[in-house]
Amino acid sequence: MFAAIRKLADGLINLSAAIGSLGLIFIMLVILVDVIGRAFGSPMYGSQDVITMSMTVVVFGAMAICDRTGGHISVDLFERAYPELLNLAIDISAALLGAVIFVAIAYAVNESAKLSAMLNLSTNLLRWPKAWFQNGLSVFALLTAAGMVLRALELTFSGRDVRKGDAV
Amino acid sequence: EELKFANFTPPFHTINASVIEKLNNDLSAATNGELTVRGYHGGELGSGPAEQYIRVLQGATDMAWGLPGYTSSQFGKTMIAELPGAIPEDMPGYQALWRAFDDNLSQEFPGTKPLALWTSEPNIFIMRNKVIRTPQDLNGLKVRVAGSTAAEVAKALGATPVQMPISQVYNAMQTGLIDGVITGASTLKDFKLDEVADALTLGAPLGRLTFFTVLNAQVYGDLSAEQRAAVDAASGMELSKSAEDAWLVTANAALAAAQKDSSNAIVELTDAEKEAFTKAVSGVVNSYVNSVDGDDALAAMQGN
Amino acid sequence: MSASMIGMIGILIMFVLLLLRVPVAFTMFAVGFAGITILDSSRSAFSLLASESFTLASSPELVVIPLFILMGNVASLTGMSQRLYDAAYAIIGQFRGGLASATVIGCGGFAALSGSSVASALTMGKVALGQMDRFNYNTRLSTGVVAAGGTLGILIPPSTGFVIYAILTEQSIGRLFLAGVLPGIMLLLLFIVMIMVICYFKPDFGPAGPKTNLKEKSRAILGAGPIVGVILLTIGGIYGGLFSPVEAAAVGAGSVILVGLVTRTLTIKLLWSAARDAVVTTATVMLILIAAHLINPFMALSHIPTAVGEFLAALNLGVTGTLILILMIYLVLGCFLEGFAMLVLTLPIFFPIILQLGIDPIWFGVLTVLTLEMGLISPPVGINVFIVKSVAPNVALGDIFRGVLPFWLMMILAVALLMAFPQIVLLLPNTMFG
Ligand code: NA
Ligand code: NA
Repeated sequence: MFAAIRKLADGLINLSAAIGSLGLIFIMLVILVDVIGRAFGSPMYGSQDVITMSMTVVVFGAMAICDRTGGHISVDLFERAYPELLNLAIDISAALLGAVIFVAIAYAVNESAKLSAMLNLSTNLLRWPKAWFQNGLSVFALLTAAGMVLRALELTFSGRDVRKGDAV
Repeated sequence: EELKFANFTPPFHTINASVIEKLNNDLSAATNGELTVRGYHGGELGSGPAEQYIRVLQGATDMAWGLPGYTSSQFGKTMIAELPGAIPEDMPGYQALWRAFDDNLSQEFPGTKPLALWTSEPNIFIMRNKVIRTPQDLNGLKVRVAGSTAAEVAKALGATPVQMPISQVYNAMQTGLIDGVITGASTLKDFKLDEVADALTLGAPLGRLTFFTVLNAQVYGDLSAEQRAAVDAASGMELSKSAEDAWLVTANAALAAAQKDSSNAIVELTDAEKEAFTKAVSGVVNSYVNSVDGDDALAAMQGN
Repeated sequence: MSASMIGMIGILIMFVLLLLRVPVAFTMFAVGFAGITILDSSRSAFSLLASESFTLASSPELVVIPLFILMGNVASLTGMSQRLYDAAYAIIGQFRGGLASATVIGCGGFAALSGSSVASALTMGKVALGQMDRFNYNTRLSTGVVAAGGTLGILIPPSTGFVIYAILTEQSIGRLFLAGVLPGIMLLLLFIVMIMVICYFKPDFGPAGPKTNLKEKSRAILGAGPIVGVILLTIGGIYGGLFSPVEAAAVGAGSVILVGLVTRTLTIKLLWSAARDAVVTTATVMLILIAAHLINPFMALSHIPTAVGEFLAALNLGVTGTLILILMIYLVLGCFLEGFAMLVLTLPIFFPIILQLGIDPIWFGVLTVLTLEMGLISPPVGINVFIVKSVAPNVALGDIFRGVLPFWLMMILAVALLMAFPQIVLLLPNTMFG
């Protein structure tokens, strides 16, 4: 059963990472267009709006895959000194703690998005609604949390640590 | 009870003495020390100006100050006060804002009680290697602007508006990435622009900045009746005047220092010279006021 | 229980969680969130969680992080880094640890275009670590060099560290930038000395290569042409006013991609994997930065910095004593706080004491930023060490910390030298500004 869920999860995680990667290439192109245009007297209108909002997609789009590939750094000074069972317990608890944190981020940012809609907040020049990007951030955060829960379940029931397996 | 006041600038910024300390003194005096205000400076309770209003609304702090210009979409009508010539030169900005507040601006401040509303010293041209006397002098120059209306003003004058965080302006002026910035004289001191700028032009109608200080409405509602009365007495016109006066003192000091430095070219436009600028930007003012349905707000600000 | 007590307990719990291998970012999130909830309210904690997450993720300054990583990735995948290190190897590879010294010099050069230590360590890590591996350098030396060398990013101008210090203390940015130049070069030289010392005692840490003749040297240098060209273009563009240091990251990345596509060393597939790896590393780094920003309000609400300041003022230690004590406090704080957060929390309290004692604020600024750099590489919360770890996932964090230690000692020496000879700091600014 885990195999099927894992396949679905990895598909979503990959999709999310792909959106983030596209966002990064896009940001680079926007800055280049802005820089070149400015040198000729016509910078891109609202470039800063585009760059900062796309950054939220880059940063949070990659959160799920970051966890999937073991990207979150921990202090491994005593890893070898700890008994195996303790290490397993730590890995499971940390994954669950991570899930709680990302659910909290998703919830908090979503609450802020409601306020943003109420206050009519948008970027200064292009008037892109801030709530769109906050909601996007929440979705990415929820996906990250789901990935962490799945990782914790796999660790608990099959002892498999996806971070040490093949890359996705 | 100690109320938290979030300040995203350093503790010696003009805001501290003129608003935070003053509120603390007035409230503690009126309540025999029962109600006090403590400033959290330098962004200790969350950095940057853009999220200050939200932080008050969400209760991360009880009070904060900020600039509507950073979230201009929330403050469509309040932002009218920033337009060139919207408030007559001889009229204090805080009076204009409060005159329009009840009928036109209050709905832009949901969930909070505004304690002070004020405006800055008038914006000026702060330039490097370029002396501005006429709109033509701006042709093709790259000028840093804060928001959309300021961008329109710059465009109307023939300049190329460039968006960038104020913290990067120093470097950008030094390397010639931008030729200057349209903002108040206090930035000469606050962001060290005096070190890189060498030409100031005063008197052109370039608008000014607006500011607010707000208190969480629920926190206000939960105070005792006497404490609420103390807050009412300590806020409003008087506090706003204190802030605006302090802003002007800071700006004048920065200008005086700039004038003392003989390497600076300082241009004070004559009335005739001003006229050319006024004409160039008049379209921007009208189209903005129309876009936010702000005729009443503008009239109220102007005292009509 | 007093607020300060809760703050201390929070710090203690943070240490315990870190040693229990809970990821650094998660630890700081949990402790910061719980601390704010206890000292204020859960409403406040949720609000700060939301605003810090979104504000940092949309910060116009932090775009440099993914862009510089992308640049480093593409340079590595297309063989540009390889040719750069071939050139360095041909020039100074015959000396023990020569490539490590070249990397330190590279860090110094990169510092001239980047204002942030994080970006420096990330980019140099992507470019240099694999290359030093190729020439059989010990990973402890190579990662230590990159983590320590990266800290030059905020000492050599442009520097976000000095900008924040200047705005918090009303000092001249220009003076501070100039004041950082000589100490930056001095520190760079001290690092090279340390590399020579390490490799003298442990020759296998940085094995010496064969001697090369002039022809081989020039061929290798020519091969490095494209990447050197990109770097010069980027630095030139900043100082020539074509783009800002932030935009320089996009120009750098765009240029290496263009060179790669033109020379057919870069395929779309490779570019895609470079971008994907860049966003993953960005996520690692950004999550730590966001989490660090939750510790900041927690510390502010605990009033620990104020208490420390009052304690310090009451001691009446005189100039040298106060200075040493403040720097030691920075050293301790640097172990668990992010550098800029530390400046914001402490400068408003320490700076008036400094002024009262008549200590030169520019001199103090450089000492502060240098000490702050040490915090970036000191355990357990050493941001630059985490950065290097994110680039070199196979090296144990403990090894990186061990590798950094000798360079950390050189920074202590640098602080001592600057305290003994303030002229090193003040010469340039006083000559240029009068
Ligand atoms: Na630098
Ligand atoms: Na540290």
